[in-house]
Amino acid sequence: MPLLINRAVVEDSWLLVDEDNLAAHINDDIVVPFELFEQNLETLLKADGQLGVQINGDQDVNLLLPHLAALALIAIEFPAFTDGRGFSFARILRRGGFTGQLRAVGDVTRDRLDHMQRCGFDAFAIPDDRYSDDILSAFGEVPVRYQGSTDDERPIFRQ
Amino acid sequence: MYQYNEQDQTLINARVEQYRDQTRRFLAGEIPDEEFRGLRLMNGLYIQRQAPMLRIAVPYGQMNSVQLRKLADITRKYDKNYAHFTTRSNVQLNWPKLEEVPDILAELAEVQMHAIQTSGNCLRNTTTDHFAGISPEEIEDPRPWCEIIRQWTTLHPEFAYMPRKFKIAVTGGPEDRAASQVHDIGLHMVKNDAGEVGFEVLVGGGLGRTPVIGKLIREFLPKRDLLSYLEAILRVYNLNGRRDNKYKARIKILVNAMGIEEFRNRVEAEWEINREGELALTDDYIAKLKGYFTPPPYAADAVDGLSVLENQLEDNAEFRAWYERNTRVHKVAGYRAVVISLKPHLKPPGDITDVQLDAVADLADTFNFGEIRSTHDQNLVFAHVAAGDLYTLWQSLRDLNLARANIGTLTDMIVCPGFDFCSLANAHTLGVAEQINEKFDDLDYLYDIGDIKLNMSGCINACAHHHVAHIGILGVDKGGEDYYQITLGGSSREDASLGKIIGKSVPQAEVADTVEKILHVYVDNRLEEERFIETVRRIGLAPFKERVYAPVN
Repeated sequence: MPLLINRAVVEDSWLLVDEDNLAAHINDDIVVPFELFEQNLETLLKADGQLGVQINGDQDVNLLLPHLAALALIAIEFPAFTDGRGFSFARILRRGGFTGQLRAVGDVTRDRLDHMQRCGFDAFAIPDDRYSDDILSAFGEVPVRYQGSTDDERPIFRQ
Repeated sequence: MYQYNEQDQTLINARVEQYRDQTRRFLAGEIPDEEFRGLRLMNGLYIQRQAPMLRIAVPYGQMNSVQLRKLADITRKYDKNYAHFTTRSNVQLNWPKLEEVPDILAELAEVQMHAIQTSGNCLRNTTTDHFAGISPEEIEDPRPWCEIIRQWTTLHPEFAYMPRKFKIAVTGGPEDRAASQVHDIGLHMVKNDAGEVGFEVLVGGGLGRTPVIGKLIREFLPKRDLLSYLEAILRVYNLNGRRDNKYKARIKILVNAMGIEEFRNRVEAEWEINREGELALTDDYIAKLKGYFTPPPYAADAVDGLSVLENQLEDNAEFRAWYERNTRVHKVAGYRAVVISLKPHLKPPGDITDVQLDAVADLADTFNFGEIRSTHDQNLVFAHVAAGDLYTLWQSLRDLNLARANIGTLTDMIVCPGFDFCSLANAHTLGVAEQINEKFDDLDYLYDIGDIKLNMSGCINACAHHHVAHIGILGVDKGGEDYYQITLGGSSREDASLGKIIGKSVPQAEVADTVEKILHVYVDNRLEEERFIETVRRIGLAPFKERVYAPVN
């Protein structure tokens, strides 16, 4: 699954863990599903590796806000392309001060990348069958922005 | 009216090319059907029963003559020489080809028009009062605020994939000609005790399967906070609206489930964070946009036309009937607003041909400063016609079959295209509209019945707003036959109310006869000067039920 960061395909250095292999990788750079993160919060915060969390729209993004400084990555899951909760999640997390990698995972395809970037995502895990080399031209197809958003908070009347 | 600057034009052109590329990739098999569906809907393209349907945005109902001529031209070049106006004051083409839509959009962009967000689960076209800027009761012209909202909603990155569609309506004062109480958000310009002008905000109104009147969320919103407050509402909705069932996904369901108190608390909490941010409107921006909606150069001697007009009204009963039904008061002496009826006898309500579009554009240039407005009840408005021009304008409109003197009467119906065109519809509507037109052809009878609102939808989605009509007709399918359920007592005005079902649905052949029985009950029971809706409210449904469902001897 190609991972786009800063408009280039990069190797994914993170490991998504589950309940079974969490203990074995506790000191690696891991992405932990939200429920596991909540259950093992203290252990995870003390561990050596870098810490990431994966969250979806049914979970409460506000619960992450107290831990942003300890997180190096937050992956937001898009269960379907019609599910737009992740856009608001991204804006709330960036507004809360999160500066780590904000990764879109799940149904992440070309025609939503620009909106995702505007809302604060900087990493995009794109399914193999939906990846093509011209995907980078999705960014900035419409160069004028009326609204402020996370990438530039100024609406058109302040630009 | 608003004129695009270079940035607006750049955006619209880029959006055309973006959609052209999406269409190309879809036709090349690179975008799955279901995903392209989302993309095309966001650009106004439905796949309908017979052909695609393209819905073109008319922001808050404002057009100029150049745009109207372009629409005429497009219907000739890409469609079947007519267009259809809708209850969002938009305009629809019923026969475009999917692969030609990018070319249509490119032509529209030449005249500052587009189809952005006219469908799909996103922020839709904002609507307003079609007498904005000329109504004597208005507190402030709502159109600059509509333009501010248009800009903010257009391609908003956070709210393009919401649980369901989202509609905003704005009124300039207490009079409500925009059905604002049945919108996801209704904004009313109000003056507070300190004499400041701001907005009263309603939320969670809507029609469809579950009609709801909007609830007051904020009594007074300062102007500068308009966008930050709207964004707060939208964020709470985007995060919490239901996504498991599209029939329960509108904000009205969320507000009802959460309760308005809790919903308000969440919005206010979100607003507190954003309120002082970059979204706060600047005085410069507000002043700049207001500058686009200054009054046209009215003629100082327009009042001189009043005496001429008086004679013309005296001499010609047909003209007088049109004047009384189809023109409205204007705040400038010597001017009237003219409603151009798109409800001629035995033609689909809201339809207009290419020839009529061109002719209306010419008339707008001659008599109305080149401006045309579309209304939510599927008519057009010339907002600034000098008294001395009314007679000539009437003659021209009459020759175009656009002067039926029926505005506000029974035959000024809102009707969706129904089963003939729409793939959602359960029942036909156009044939029933004809049946009603045939039955109630006598203008004197219509004038005696007076102000009445009849709306007809071909399915429960309620595109024709039947719930808020004095007489609402809803087409339903009963074992393959078209039947029609009738509601009475609805209103979309400042006294908004939802109609109540009078009983079992009636077969297609009996709709007009049923309406006639209802009108008989009104005539038998009305007090002097009492309008239909007032009689219904006073005497209740029982007398109507009794007459409609009386056993046949």
